[in-house]
Amino acid sequence: MLRFIVRRLLVTVPTILVVISITWVLIKLAPGNFYSGEKRLPPAVEQNIREKYGLDKPWYQQYGKTMWRIVGHLDFGTSLRYEGQSVNSIIKRSLPVSATVGVLAYLLALIVGIVAGSIAALKQNSKWDYTSMALAMLGISVPNFVLAPILVLIFSLTLYWLPPSRWGGFPSRNLILPVLTLAALQMAYIARLTRAGMLEVLRSDYIRTARAKGLSERDVVIRHALRGGLMPVISYTGPALAFLLTGTVVVERIFALPGLGNYFIQASLNRDEPLIIGIVAFIAITLLLMNLLVDIAYAYLDPRVRYQ
Amino acid sequence: MSSSKFRQILGLVLLASLACSTYSCTVASAGDFFGSTTPPSQNIFRYVTGDEPATLDPAMGNGQPEARLYLALYEGLVEYNAKTLAPEPALAERWHINNDSSELTFHLRTTGRWSNGDPIDAYDFVYSIRRALAKKTASPNAYMASYLKYAEAFNQQRVFVRDPKTGQFLLAREFDESLPPEPLSGSPIDREKSEYPADPKDSSPDPDSEFHHQMHMPTRLTLPGDEKARNKRLDANPKLKAAMDGKEFVPVKAEDLGVEAVDRYIVRISLVQPAPFFLGLLAHQVFRLVPQKVVEQYGDQWTRPEHIVTCGPFKMKEWVPYDRLVLVRDPMYWDAATVRLDELRFYPILDNSTVMNMYKVGELDAVFNHAVPNGWLHIMREKKDYMGQAEAAVDYLIMNTTKPPLNNVKVRKAFNLSIDKDGYAAWRRIVKPLTAFTPEGMFPGYKQPKGGAFNPAEARKLLGEAGYPVIENSDGSFSCPSFPVDQVEFIYNSQAANRAVAEWMQAQWKQNLGVTVGLRNMEWKTFLEQRAKLEYKGFARGAWGADYMDPFTFLSVFYTGGDNGTGWLDPHYIEMLDEANRTLDHEKRYDLLAKAEAYLLDNQPIIPLDTPSVNWLKKPYVKGLYPNAASLFPWKYVYIERDQAKWDYGPPNMAAE
Repeated sequence: MLRFIVRRLLVTVPTILVVISITWVLIKLAPGNFYSGEKRLPPAVEQNIREKYGLDKPWYQQYGKTMWRIVGHLDFGTSLRYEGQSVNSIIKRSLPVSATVGVLAYLLALIVGIVAGSIAALKQNSKWDYTSMALAMLGISVPNFVLAPILVLIFSLTLYWLPPSRWGGFPSRNLILPVLTLAALQMAYIARLTRAGMLEVLRSDYIRTARAKGLSERDVVIRHALRGGLMPVISYTGPALAFLLTGTVVVERIFALPGLGNYFIQASLNRDEPLIIGIVAFIAITLLLMNLLVDIAYAYLDPRVRYQ
Repeated sequence: MSSSKFRQILGLVLLASLACSTYSCTVASAGDFFGSTTPPSQNIFRYVTGDEPATLDPAMGNGQPEARLYLALYEGLVEYNAKTLAPEPALAERWHINNDSSELTFHLRTTGRWSNGDPIDAYDFVYSIRRALAKKTASPNAYMASYLKYAEAFNQQRVFVRDPKTGQFLLAREFDESLPPEPLSGSPIDREKSEYPADPKDSSPDPDSEFHHQMHMPTRLTLPGDEKARNKRLDANPKLKAAMDGKEFVPVKAEDLGVEAVDRYIVRISLVQPAPFFLGLLAHQVFRLVPQKVVEQYGDQWTRPEHIVTCGPFKMKEWVPYDRLVLVRDPMYWDAATVRLDELRFYPILDNSTVMNMYKVGELDAVFNHAVPNGWLHIMREKKDYMGQAEAAVDYLIMNTTKPPLNNVKVRKAFNLSIDKDGYAAWRRIVKPLTAFTPEGMFPGYKQPKGGAFNPAEARKLLGEAGYPVIENSDGSFSCPSFPVDQVEFIYNSQAANRAVAEWMQAQWKQNLGVTVGLRNMEWKTFLEQRAKLEYKGFARGAWGADYMDPFTFLSVFYTGGDNGTGWLDPHYIEMLDEANRTLDHEKRYDLLAKAEAYLLDNQPIIPLDTPSVNWLKKPYVKGLYPNAASLFPWKYVYIERDQAKWDYGPPNMAAE
């Protein structure tokens, strides 16, 4: 098991470097500069800016400098757009915001999704099943940029119950709407996956054996069925958690949250090279780690994976 | 559950959501104001100025969101008037301007204080300018100060040429006869004749100095500091190259700049040319003061909340990027008695609907210019808290005049004449039709020329004369089969509003000329790049906002080549502008500028479309905040009025007091 983990971690490093390199190339290929605006700067002023940030150097020097800084010092440099702010400090500052919303949405989605999915599976073709699956269908079909304004319209602008946007720290009422919006889709997916997984497992031989042994229905469901039925859910929620943690562009923008996703989209639009690379690398690392955790969890839950 | 039951439930859900949305619509259209009108319990003003500020360093930030913040944190010699934007005394309490507007002497007030209590003097101003113009600062605003003597040479690290034997510098006019004559600030000081108009309130002459005389010497020649570039320049001019024999190159230093602290509270600025608009330009952020000690100690970290020292009516309390910037009244500020707010809160928010939602529920007291989404305008314009005054800006189309068929002025004119601008303005609702390049009625006394008005018949005739005859079809429509439609397209940056405008233009040209111009949208920075480098063919969206309140801020777009996106650069036009700026008489100068504008319109590198209006909201209890033409607000006058009788029920009175 340890060898498996170490091997996987070793593969991660070159993967990240490739991701960073491709990102770097894409940024260089994108037209425009971080300083371009409606009013074009005179060439001499532009030249001063390019020299200050080393953009007048040949590409291999720029690439080498960037990679050395990242690999040698784990330093993503200073943002071009936000004068004097290091990329590391921006990530450090915005990650807790994204992660708070993300983890809350993840937990909510997991709890509601698994409970609803299990009930639907256990009471297949009942009104419980239909209701929860109809809601799940709705959750999957309604994109979050539609759901968020509807929630704001109802709870903020009409009922005046909840603030329409902005970060209020944790815990605060400001969190309710963004977490709900973010959780809706995941909740729906998890409910459907749980239901499908459970239905399959409930028909399998070992569940029949468990029942034949005279185990209580509770034990059958929780100890045996759920364990097998959640396998698809786990492989889905690993990457999902990575995305939730690292921020979601739409939700952070609509609710004006100072999270990573907000910075990511702005950095791309602003051609803020160090910030883009920093965030991409961070998301890639998180994603790879989550996938690794999923594999470990798989091995733990399903002995067949472990012995292969 | 049966399927009919399911349908019932679904129907109920849909009905409920429909009810919700209609209910909120009725709420929004009722009432005179948009949303809550309860003033905040404390003397706090909450505002969204747009995106997160790129920097709090006034020399470095060049966006409008930043400019508005700098008005709270920093002050310069002069400040914008809240209503007219005309320069009024700030750190300088009075000033003298010489007869041809090429030299300005400012008397600073002795009560100016930094937020840490240190006194502000003339040396602070000199330092701030020198820093903003230094090459290593790489300020994007540096060109705003290029009217100062040797500003460009210093910013580009150029060199003077000196004869080591005599100590004499070579002069610019010896090698370039096309240069306009020296202004008064560059001519020897005539002791007999005052260069300054008589001031009945203050007859004592400003002190003289050695530097003053040095500035009054003829302008020196400067060459590129980089040897390669310099040699290239010398090779191109044999006379210049020959003059280099036995000479030495002396770098242009900060001390050579045309700005001097004559004494502790007097600043003199020498300009390279007569610039009647320069006083108005002095309120720009690049001329605002920064604290030397703090900047030198902390480098690019000096604006961090724990370090920053400011000189404006407000000072920093808290800065959480992308969340809030909280400023409080600065008790050290020289005019602190005028400041009525205890706190100013800026929230950086990108999404306009989010901004409007917060305004509606009463979490904001005003929103920034153009925050009201297009689709909301028909409701918002009826509200009493809507601000829709004229804006010092123009919208236009630019054309690539370097590529056929638009390199033919007749074709350009045809496309201009075939747009019904009155119809366009009526459709856009919040704009006024424009046929010129300066906003209409913005500069009192300026006789704005009129460009070609809507005339489709004339347009078709011109297009025919250019070699693309327009044929009238049997059904009354037009077609122009010989026009190379594959050689033109209309580019714009992806935004719903821009797309609508592009489609409107496309329809006009199709209807009146029979030419279908293709549309292409692109991401913002890509669009800018294509436009700036003339990589597009045909038409591109363009807009310009005033940097100072003078027609020259618009006309100067075509003063330099390359950066205007059209490829049009005409020496005659530049000469006309120079002549106007040399003219001392205000009225005559305006006439000459108007003549230059008429010349520009006749050459038609652009198609003027409209003068936009500002487009924002403020709660009725917010006073002292005026919808001025540039949406730049001197925050010290803003306050929260708790007496409902004194609220604004409509736009505030903009007449100057």
